[in-house]
Amino acid sequence: MIATMETLNDLDAPTKSAVIDLLYRLADDAIIIGHRGSEWTGFAPILEEDIAFSSMAQDDMGHALTFYQMLHELGEPDPDTNVFGRKLEQWKCASLVSLCSKRDWAKSLVRKYFYDVAESLRLESLAQGSLVPLAQLARKLSSEKKYHLMHGHMWMPRLGQGTDESHQLMQDAVDTLYPHALGMFESTGADDLLDQAGIFLREDELRKRWVAAVDKVLGESSLKINAKASPVYGGRSGKHPDDLATLLDGMQLVYKLDPSAKW
Amino acid sequence: MNDTQWPVYEVFHQQARGEAHIHVGSVHAPDAQMALVMAKEQYCRRQACVNLWVAPASAILATDYQDGDMFEHATDKSYRESWGYKTPKTIKKSKASDKESAK
Amino acid sequence: MVIAIDPELNQLSKEECERRLETFEGRIARGDKVEPTDWMPQEYRNQLIRLIHVHANSEICGALPEGKWIPHAPSFKRKMALLAKVQDEVGHAQLLYRAAETLGASREQMIEDLISGKSKFSNVFHYPADIWTDVAIIAWLIDGAAIVNQMMMSDGSYGPYSRALKRICYEEAFHLKHGYEMVVTIAQGTKMQREMLQDSLDRWWPPIMMFHGPADKVSKHTSMLVQWGVKLKTNDEQRQQFLRQFVPKMLDLGLKIPDPNLRLDKETGDWLYTEPDWDEFKRVINGGGPVSGDRVATRKLAHEEGRWVREALSAAAANQPIPMPTMTV
Ligand SMILES: [Fe+2]
Ligand SMILES: [Fe+2]
Repeated sequence: MIATMETLNDLDAPTKSAVIDLLYRLADDAIIIGHRGSEWTGFAPILEEDIAFSSMAQDDMGHALTFYQMLHELGEPDPDTNVFGRKLEQWKCASLVSLCSKRDWAKSLVRKYFYDVAESLRLESLAQGSLVPLAQLARKLSSEKKYHLMHGHMWMPRLGQGTDESHQLMQDAVDTLYPHALGMFESTGADDLLDQAGIFLREDELRKRWVAAVDKVLGESSLKINAKASPVYGGRSGKHPDDLATLLDGMQLVYKLDPSAKW
Repeated sequence: MNDTQWPVYEVFHQQARGEAHIHVGSVHAPDAQMALVMAKEQYCRRQACVNLWVAPASAILATDYQDGDMFEHATDKSYRESWGYKTPKTIKKSKASDKESAK
Repeated sequence: MVIAIDPELNQLSKEECERRLETFEGRIARGDKVEPTDWMPQEYRNQLIRLIHVHANSEICGALPEGKWIPHAPSFKRKMALLAKVQDEVGHAQLLYRAAETLGASREQMIEDLISGKSKFSNVFHYPADIWTDVAIIAWLIDGAAIVNQMMMSDGSYGPYSRALKRICYEEAFHLKHGYEMVVTIAQGTKMQREMLQDSLDRWWPPIMMFHGPADKVSKHTSMLVQWGVKLKTNDEQRQQFLRQFVPKMLDLGLKIPDPNLRLDKETGDWLYTEPDWDEFKRVINGGGPVSGDRVATRKLAHEEGRWVREALSAAAANQPIPMPTMTV
């Protein structure tokens, strides 16, 4: 029987640092995918889709903000300092979200879909978990994910099966991104503690569920995955592709003119 | 050119259960499902919405403004309105003499 | 109203033209809206299409200078708000292209005309947004100037345009607040911040003064649109309204307006100003602005690179039925 923890204060020191590790992974993934999504604002292939994609980017950034706020409650820097002042090697996002996909709609869509399935599963697990504030937050956030999934489920078969060209571009995107998507489930030292405390599922279990869900939809979209692909790890421990360094340079540009200034 | 000028779908939202769906605008989309997914963010990203409809604009048959006068009432139709009736506030009691004469 | 319309253009006899024109103008005079299926003079239709098309183009091109800064916004609040604001501008383009389509234009063709440089967009979006504080000045003053114009047009005679503008104005209220909050915050900030803000204003002021279009004495499109109730105020009247609304606030904030002749005429309450360089205005809107080519090229690139996506969607739609997408994993 796992005891529920009503407040963040109920966490003992080792569990607290495991939760901090988890929140950084959730928050960093969300802000970076949101940032990537916003790169399409004004450039999407259809006006209506431009609006939809911008909304989802805002949702993702909003999710990130709530995770950073919880981190702040746990003694970490405030959200703005954390995002706009943090060094590259301190980031914990997966390479899937770090990779640049500017002007590549197929990659952007596939990446967003891969991420949304993962985030949905994470939120589902948190919602059933024993840490009440996080469970409540997860339940609240998961309502927005419904639309993201609906959006992804709409696009995948249409482009997977639309024309030969769209099929090929989508297949290329899947081939490139699948190993990075598996990298989202890189286990960290926090896995065992979070699992024992009943807060969050183990990464390998989440990965199993993710593979099953994605496999089904890709199959229905005439897209194949390479079952032998090996995951690209590193993001969770601060090793990132150059694309993230470029992204952070841009994102922190104005803030760093004077970190004490208000804009 | 040689691109896609997709059909137009009209968009209707319902702001709360129990209220009517109201027309809010339209989107271009290749099919109805996509129209619905697109309409959600273009028309419901701020305002309250509990339900959303899309319908192909081509499915709508409309009257002509030129014939708008057919909606006007040329003769007195007050008999089918509640305000077209006047009844006294108090009802007069019938007189005894009336009863007698009835006999 | 005494606007002569061309029977040949309207494909009607002179008498029939006059008869219909009387009904049409009577409707406008009563304050009734014109709806898409009503008869309207071809001249009205053409001018409205041109006007709404340019307006829609301006929204989508207007997304570019500010959109460029979304990745660099310096806080969560600014990042999300700027993204939402630019998203709204794209949404405005969608609403306006739809409104123009009710007059018989096609969205494809309008976008084609934009990316081939055939159709115009607002003068202000032909200039670059070089530094972060530019987005504050744009959101406050350009959106402020646009609201003056759009509020006025939202009472105009064409139903679909007026409906679209009502919603647009509702959203613009957020843009204005977002812009004003940024300007106020920066104006109260460090010396570097205030210098940046002043620099932005110095560069944007001349184009902003041209935003409402040529002075009444030289504007060729205004009179017919005014008479038919599309534009309810002249360019100069709109400019004056903008100045009355914004100049006192700018001065309050300690901003220096880069026009040595700007002063209040105490008697009329009007602001007097240096006449903008209308030759520059003409050159700019005809594609001779500092970044005119870039703006069109960017739109063109986005449109062309998205073609495979649209073609795939068309092909997929032809293979119906496609099941309803689910919302669960
Ligand atoms: Fe706008
Ligand atoms: Fe705006």
